[in-house]
Amino acid sequence: MTLYFTVNTIIEFSCLLVACLCLYKEKDPIWRLSILYLLFTCFTEVSAIHLRKVLHQSNLYLYNVFLLVECGFISTFFYFLYKKYVNKSKWLIGWLSLFALFYTLELISNNFLNFTFKTASALSVAFVLASLYFYYLILKDEKFERLSIYPPFWWVNGTLIFYFGSTSTNIFFDYLIQDQISIFPQSIRYRIFNILNVLLYCCWSYAFLCKYLQRKSSSSSV
Amino acid sequence: MQISSKEVFFLISLITIIFLMAPLFLMVYVNLYNRRKKKHIEETASLKRSFENELLKSQMEVQEQTLKTIAYDLHDNIGQLLGLTIITLGSIKIDDPVKATEKIAAAEDLAKRSVKEIRALSRLLHGEELISRGLIGAIAFELDWVGKSQLYKISYHSNIKTLPAKAGIETMIFRLFQETLHNIIRHAKALEIMINLDFINDQLILSIADDGIGFDFTETRELHKGMGLQNIQKRVAMIGGTVTFDTAPGKGTTITIATPY
Repeated sequence: MTLYFTVNTIIEFSCLLVACLCLYKEKDPIWRLSILYLLFTCFTEVSAIHLRKVLHQSNLYLYNVFLLVECGFISTFFYFLYKKYVNKSKWLIGWLSLFALFYTLELISNNFLNFTFKTASALSVAFVLASLYFYYLILKDEKFERLSIYPPFWWVNGTLIFYFGSTSTNIFFDYLIQDQISIFPQSIRYRIFNILNVLLYCCWSYAFLCKYLQRKSSSSSV
Repeated sequence: MQISSKEVFFLISLITIIFLMAPLFLMVYVNLYNRRKKKHIEETASLKRSFENELLKSQMEVQEQTLKTIAYDLHDNIGQLLGLTIITLGSIKIDDPVKATEKIAAAEDLAKRSVKEIRALSRLLHGEELISRGLIGAIAFELDWVGKSQLYKISYHSNIKTLPAKAGIETMIFRLFQETLHNIIRHAKALEIMINLDFINDQLILSIADDGIGFDFTETRELHKGMGLQNIQKRVAMIGGTVTFDTAPGKGTTITIATPY
């Protein structure tokens, strides 16, 4: 049982708990959808541990499926964040189509056996650019927002830290996946992703909390 | 040379730290810029508020000036005419019909003049809506009123036929004009007043000159004697314009106000 309690699963379940508490009454559908996404993330993580540690099988294809959900959710979330400033529905459709094309091509070239790390790297770059574009929109906007308690800002902060921070591990993916360095019990990639996951889910949890407080203050002022 | 696993670990950790620091700095930068934006918005709002306050003050001063003129006119003009009418009517002797007819005619004439003056005064009362006539009309009306006293030779030149209505700026400029004109009446001991109103390259240029005693501009400003001067400078700055004072003791005064319109 204890093998299911890792840094990743603990932080993911904690974030899911915060999301459930803060967002279950949320009117904005995309924020409410975060609960489902986090639920799916937790399910994937636990299943991956089960596959690898109990059944001693590769869990890479599970992460391949997760990549699809990840891309769909994060891209749609960005689209809804942009909507306040600009309407970029064509960008979303274009990007998702491009992603689907790359993903399929890489899956075929890997014979459905390996993780689609090239597509995942492209995804990281796209999300980094999307985060930077969101900052640009905030700076360009004439309206002032208190960023310290602005939920979209903290959601994007977490996303940027995670995808920008994971760039180096993505670059060295090939080497790290076979990392069998004796002095380190776990792969560097796993360690780095532990840190990135903690940062990502801390930022997201804070964003959910801000969203909850925002909803509370707006409903009490009505 | 082969890189050891330990070195690769160090390298990747270092790159990851750098890649984590970059977004952190970016977040701080965005936050800082946002705070500046807040400060800018607050400053703009504060400027807008002080402009609105000043505008309100100008409107009240225009009204106050109108009431002062009315009080002056009632006392010095209409009051005297009616007083004369009473004296004339009181001196009528019924037993001298010829003189009585003459005096009645004189009293009638005085009463008619009084009615005329009251009508003019009524027009001035409407002058509270002076600005609704537009800046050009309001200036012309004010000059008509000053010209009535026949104490000054007034010349007014303008190359403008119509001006787009901009209530706030018009009120401010009109009040500046009114204040300058009344400064001339009160202090300048002038015989001639020359006014020019031009519209050149989106700039409205109002020039008010007199041949009065003039004053030492630097001294007046330094000694804070000229609260009016500071007031004029402050209000002109508020509408984004500039003001120049061309004056010296014994050489008259020319005040030129240029403002984007």
